[in-house]
Amino acid sequence: MLLELDGITVAFGGLIAVGDVTFSMAEGDVLGLVGPNGAGKTTLFNAVSGLVRPTRGKARFLGRDLVAMPIHARARAGIGRAFQVPQPMHELTVRENLMVASRFATGRIDKQRIEEILDLLKLGHKADADAATSLALTEQKALEVGKALATNPKLLMLDEVLAGLETAGKRAFMHTLSEVRQRYGLALMIIEHDIETITRLCPRVVVLNFGRLIAEGSPDHVFNDPEVIRSYTGGEAA
Amino acid sequence: MSNVIKTAAFLAFAYIAVPLAVGSNTYVIGLIVAALTIGGIAVAWALLGNLGGMVSFGHAAFFGVGAYVSALLTLRGGWPVFPAMLVAGLGAAVASVATMPALRLRGPYFALAILAYAEIFRILATELKPVTGGAAGLLSIPRLPNVLGLDFGSKLGGYFVILTIVVAAMAAYHLIRRSAYGLALKAMHDSEDATRVVGVNSTVLKAWMLVVSAFITGMVGAFNAHYINFLEPDYAFAGQWTTLAIVSAIFGGYRTVTGPLVGAVVVYLVDQLAFKPILPQGHQIVLGVLLGAMILFSPGGLMPMLMAKLSRKEGPAHAA
Repeated sequence: MLLELDGITVAFGGLIAVGDVTFSMAEGDVLGLVGPNGAGKTTLFNAVSGLVRPTRGKARFLGRDLVAMPIHARARAGIGRAFQVPQPMHELTVRENLMVASRFATGRIDKQRIEEILDLLKLGHKADADAATSLALTEQKALEVGKALATNPKLLMLDEVLAGLETAGKRAFMHTLSEVRQRYGLALMIIEHDIETITRLCPRVVVLNFGRLIAEGSPDHVFNDPEVIRSYTGGEAA
Repeated sequence: MSNVIKTAAFLAFAYIAVPLAVGSNTYVIGLIVAALTIGGIAVAWALLGNLGGMVSFGHAAFFGVGAYVSALLTLRGGWPVFPAMLVAGLGAAVASVATMPALRLRGPYFALAILAYAEIFRILATELKPVTGGAAGLLSIPRLPNVLGLDFGSKLGGYFVILTIVVAAMAAYHLIRRSAYGLALKAMHDSEDATRVVGVNSTVLKAWMLVVSAFITGMVGAFNAHYINFLEPDYAFAGQWTTLAIVSAIFGGYRTVTGPLVGAVVVYLVDQLAFKPILPQGHQIVLGVLLGAMILFSPGGLMPMLMAKLSRKEGPAHAA
């Protein structure tokens, strides 16, 4: 198994942001993580990528205990993460961003892979531009994915990378993500609010609400689940 | 002008032109040696401040430890001076390991914590009388040696030694900055989480910068001990070694490799040659005003300001 989460709980004082969440992913799986605002999706991402430490529960990645693993070691183990708000490494060019990711996650700068990523994400023309100040929003999102890809991940976690893009940009980016998956054969865990995107990309969906897992299964199944509908509408299911 | 030509010009100026121009004037060469001593600490400080992102108020600790290690090895252990200076750098690097708990702190908390370490080292040097000589200090520290007919113990010889240390420190700064480690260190300042999730162990990288910075500062401290042949705790661990280095690095532009050195030379020489004769008491006030003006009008420092002016000047010429 690639990723196993068993009763993961993240509490901030008295607030349970993620409560007793259990699910797993196999290599090559594509999983959508959905839920209303404040459902705990990003906190769960943070727990898997190491930015917060779970209060309770077990997490394993390729059989290794994740909870005790430092953040940088998770990247080296094969967990790549793209943030919702792009976080380019300041003072570095686009290519240098990828070089740092490649060097520190894999132990060497894989120039061929970097050029391949730049090409795939259509960032070649901005390769030597300042990453923090010279990129349009779509390019910033692409760089966010590119940095994670440069770490040579087995699991790529994408936190609302399509948010803020207009319809055409969103479609183009979804196409790029499909290409990425085909090219590298990696597993994807995607947080996304757009139901159409999730339905197209993810054969399996996990729904969180108030930090709890309330449904899991195919998009058709979960989006017709009365509890999921209630969680989004705040009322009774139709 | 390419970087190779610029570097060659700088080396020719420093190793040939300066000695030819002022080598026989022991007063001026002595002032330049003092400026280079501060410049060496400033380069080391900038390496930690710029690449490690940590403002240290405690570099006097590494300067003092380096000075004492080299002085004791040569005085009590009979070591030759140059190997002792190298070991002194290592000693300062080892001392920096003791300060590493402070790496958990950020910003002013780190700056203050490391200042406290400098004070601890000063007290240790004062109290360990059987080893360090206590407050009375160490006298007759061996001077820099005579090697192949070159008298490094002279003012001009000392100039070549400290110049070489500073040039080596600048080369190390340059090489680290352009490496993948340097890129990661630069990136960490404003986006630490973004660098950690791609595999950068930020704590270890910062620790390495502290060790390298301490090593260089320790070497400079060791040089100074053999140059002046005398040490006492209040002098070796004096806060001025830190403050002058910080002022120089910020004035010159600590985000550039040459800035800290240029800052040290300008600040110290202008202070000693221009302001001190006019204002024997309180001449440092003028430096304070100059530093304030620099921060207001060119926050990047002197070198970035000069480079911006030069590139503006070159622009129309290229266009023509």
